[in-house]
Amino acid sequence: MWPYFPHLLNRPVPRYTSYPTAAEFRADVGAADLAAALDGLPAGALVSLYVHIPFCRDICWYCGCNTERANSRRRLETYLAALEREIDAVAARVSGRVRVGRIAFGGGSPNAISPIAFVRLVDRLLTAFSAANAEISVELDPRGLDASWAAVLGKLGVTRASLGVQTLDSGIQQRIGRVQPAESIAQSVALLRGAGVRSLNFDLIYGLPGQTMAALEDSVQAAIAMRPDRVALFGYAHVPDRIARQRRLEAAALPGQQARFDMAQQGHQALLAAGYMAIGFDHFALPEDALAVAMRAGRLRRNFQGFTDDNADALIGLGASSISLFDHLIVQNERASGLYRARLEAGGLAAMQGVRRDAEDRERGLVIGDILCGRPADLTGLPFDGLESRLKPFTDAGLAVLAADRLRLTADALPYARAIAACFDRYRTGAMAGFSAPV
Amino acid sequence: MSDCTQCAVRSRAVCAALAPDERAMLSQLGRMQTVKRGQALLWEGDDALLVANVVEGVLKLSTATSSGREQIVGVVYPSDFIGRPFGRLSQHSVTALVDSRVCIFSRQSFDAMAREFPGLGHALLTRTLDELDRARRWMLLLGRKSAGERIASFLLELSQRLAEANCTADPAPLREFELPLDRQQIADVLGLTIETVSRQFTQLRASGLIDLPGRRSVAIVDRAALEAMAGD
Repeated sequence: MWPYFPHLLNRPVPRYTSYPTAAEFRADVGAADLAAALDGLPAGALVSLYVHIPFCRDICWYCGCNTERANSRRRLETYLAALEREIDAVAARVSGRVRVGRIAFGGGSPNAISPIAFVRLVDRLLTAFSAANAEISVELDPRGLDASWAAVLGKLGVTRASLGVQTLDSGIQQRIGRVQPAESIAQSVALLRGAGVRSLNFDLIYGLPGQTMAALEDSVQAAIAMRPDRVALFGYAHVPDRIARQRRLEAAALPGQQARFDMAQQGHQALLAAGYMAIGFDHFALPEDALAVAMRAGRLRRNFQGFTDDNADALIGLGASSISLFDHLIVQNERASGLYRARLEAGGLAAMQGVRRDAEDRERGLVIGDILCGRPADLTGLPFDGLESRLKPFTDAGLAVLAADRLRLTADALPYARAIAACFDRYRTGAMAGFSAPV
Repeated sequence: MSDCTQCAVRSRAVCAALAPDERAMLSQLGRMQTVKRGQALLWEGDDALLVANVVEGVLKLSTATSSGREQIVGVVYPSDFIGRPFGRLSQHSVTALVDSRVCIFSRQSFDAMAREFPGLGHALLTRTLDELDRARRWMLLLGRKSAGERIASFLLELSQRLAEANCTADPAPLREFELPLDRQQIADVLGLTIETVSRQFTQLRASGLIDLPGRRSVAIVDRAALEAMAGD
């Protein structure tokens, strides 16, 4: 059982999909920095691409992603034309010099565009980046996934896919604006397995309005019965001030902090009992899946997609709002698709804000990555500026052990990992508005 | 507009998915264009995106790399569909390797037809996937294979594709055929020097895999050995 210390969980903390986090992005970093970072990638560097498709057939009320409805063919076409411009502009700087190991499509729902538009997009990427062998992964909305899409994914050689399952409870599906019968999920799984997808992820959410422990248990068990290779169990983050669509959810029906804590623990235990291995603080994988292999080998990494076995030297984000990650720089594209398009039509790159990472940021980033990925963290490279006192509540509670410049989290510290990581965040010393609760 | 009833590739091109009256509609949108050897296919419009059916000939698809070098991303034959964007704004270009004829459409009007006629839509999707497959194979060929492997792969591809160009059903690959490209062109598309190409031809002949009965003709003598050499 995880010990419950409410006072250690009441401070909202970042998810640390990068360090520094997006809260540190500033407009004095932009397209020129991105251009310099691309030009500075050394010959032979291993690079991953992330391609953002910000469209969905319907907008779900809980979703915090950068998305819009795919209800106008013209809107999709103009976005894809801008994306092709960006692909050409970025590829012109790196093609032939770097190796592209992976291409991940996310959103939104990449399957909100037509299959032929998707094939043309893949063609453009593979050709522009000379990436014939790149491993391709796709996030999918099961509601738009039919046999023709599955055939396309199979022929493209897509090996990894992630399905937005969220909850299998039909009552809660109504309350969050995402109705998808369990049979349609099962059908999606069958189609994707038939198409050759070897690693299949389910996204699940706890902490939804009206969700009880029993409802979560049912959803988790129903998911386990379909045997996805990976499961990501996220806590719903209610920030209606920032995300207007979330105002449609009944705030009064949201589970409280202790209920959320219990749900995270219940899901965790159910997945472990079913043979899954815990990956970081909210991912799970079957022992033979690449993510579990990476975890055991100490190669797990944190990135914008969560936890990953990707060992690339740099991540290049393409599409509106996507983020590129280099050793010395994190930089984000324009979020609004109109502004994104305008920048590319003007002949430039689409980056509009970001943060430069100095040596201390990189060192802190490594420590935070180790903590979140379940490894002992080596603190020798950090200034000890009051670190012990910030860690004291956690060491006193027996959640972490600090000895000989190494920090190790104890077995029950998982729900506190983000809060402990925040002790190493030089930009997060005071109160933190705008982030979600750590569980 | 083009007369589809007389088209040499009507039974194998992407438009074969249409009924005769539908094909007549499509023919209103298409335009037959002759492309002389060495000429690039361009549209008069500013940023028009085109798609095309190859009716006759052999053409190469290429893009410009960051260093300004030409990168070949495929070679197309009669009945192949070219769905990649080409035109003034595109870095893709389509250049005839021999005198060729193509039936061209604006991508917009072709896509609109494909939305209206599901059979054509399905055929378009299949062809676009085939084209991507071809691009991948070509990239692998240029990226990994030795000069010998490249020549062997290319000769095998020619023997298959040139057989299809003369026939309606799925034909067996040709044993003997005229090379549509000269040594210099073969060197260009395979990313080799002309000396290397000539040396490889001589070696293949000396080891009994091929014969060179005429100046432009090739006979595949030991197909199994050539396939083994191609490595796929």
